[in-house]
Amino acid sequence: MTERKTTHFGYQQVPVEEKAGRVADVFHSVAARYDVMNDLMSGGVHRLWKRFTIELSAARPGQTILDIAGGTGDLTARFSRIVGPTGKVVLADINESMLKVGRDRLLDRGIAGNVETLQADAQYLPFPDNTFDCITIAFGLRNVTDKDLALRSMLRVLKPGGRLLVLEFSKPQSKLLEKVYDQYSFRLLPFMGKLVADDAESYRYLAESIRMHPDQQTLKDMMGEAGFVDCEFHNMTGGIVALHKGIKP
Amino acid sequence: MTDPTFRAGFDATLETAINTALRYDPGTAARLQKLVGKVLAVDLTAPKMSLFVLIEDDGIEVHSRWNGEVTTELQGSALAFLQLLKNRDATPAKLGVGVRGSSAFLAELQSILRDLDIDWEEPLAQALGDVPAHQIGRGLRTAAGWLRDALGKAPGAASEAATEEWRVTPPQAQFEAFADDVAEFTQGVDRLEARIALLREKLSRRGAN
Repeated sequence: MTERKTTHFGYQQVPVEEKAGRVADVFHSVAARYDVMNDLMSGGVHRLWKRFTIELSAARPGQTILDIAGGTGDLTARFSRIVGPTGKVVLADINESMLKVGRDRLLDRGIAGNVETLQADAQYLPFPDNTFDCITIAFGLRNVTDKDLALRSMLRVLKPGGRLLVLEFSKPQSKLLEKVYDQYSFRLLPFMGKLVADDAESYRYLAESIRMHPDQQTLKDMMGEAGFVDCEFHNMTGGIVALHKGIKP
Repeated sequence: MTDPTFRAGFDATLETAINTALRYDPGTAARLQKLVGKVLAVDLTAPKMSLFVLIEDDGIEVHSRWNGEVTTELQGSALAFLQLLKNRDATPAKLGVGVRGSSAFLAELQSILRDLDIDWEEPLAQALGDVPAHQIGRGLRTAAGWLRDALGKAPGAASEAATEEWRVTPPQAQFEAFADDVAEFTQGVDRLEARIALLREKLSRRGAN
């Protein structure tokens, strides 16, 4: 009998082929209230983390940008203004519910013309080689089943000299902050999830998945192994979140 | 390096404050429309900080980094920038502010900022209604006028009290006469010093012969 390969889904081990479906269920469940919960969970600070991501992206008018795992389209909206009518932004997400919320929100804000929405898996990006000047993945990489595969796929579709920016929860740099953060994540977060979105389990998964995600240095090494050069990371809010940047040689 | 969250927070707060103020001064917002697409880079030397202000059609944006073209770049201390904004006669050169790029854009921006006339009653009216907002606005304007008047008269009143009442400083005429005497005495000493130097040189020349 052959042994089934497993991977982590929060603190649980699940068969590899089941993870994507389980993650999808979480995001189908939270999609409608995703932005409200983000503001509530981070006290609005997620907007500042995204703001710094935009600054570091060095996006310019006329460029082509992929916002993978773009969810409700926060980054896409901003990139759409920066690249202007001569550029293009692709908002992609594996989850149909999240993508639908994102597309509706962009349309409601009158953002159209240079934006495309697309359901896509970060591990198997459906684009030709050397397509994008910049790729961002914000709070998405930790949900991907095979992160190495996703990093290589992103490298393939980036143009030489193109930038990958990974905004993701990471490891707090102080022991005290880590303790406070643990209490917050495992006690307060599921409680808020229950209260606002009536879904404590999904928010427990979010907290667990953050702990299972590679720390700053490990992710930087993974990017280097995938083929990115000049890899660097910036800790934000004491390392609760880190922004990694790598360049395609 | 400072946590980027703080810097992003600073930029976002500054941007929101300026855009909120612009909403209550439609005249300035309209003048800014002519400058859409232009970028002002501000390189502060004390405290050390760079920021980029982009003029967009719905307000301004503040960034800590900018990779595109810059219309005008200014370099100087925060204090010099404040004086540049406040003082109608101030010029960048007088205040030691370095300018690179378009000076026309800077002049237009300075003129807009000096003519800034924010209708502070408008947000109050939205929250409290027109009549209470007008009463509060009138009260604040009277208080500000009195304060400006008092502050304007303060230096004169203080100097009069110091001279006439407390007698801790001399009257201006007396001080000026004393200063003239000191200057004359200094010149006399200088002349004497030069004369002694000349005589010493003559004596040493005679000794050598």
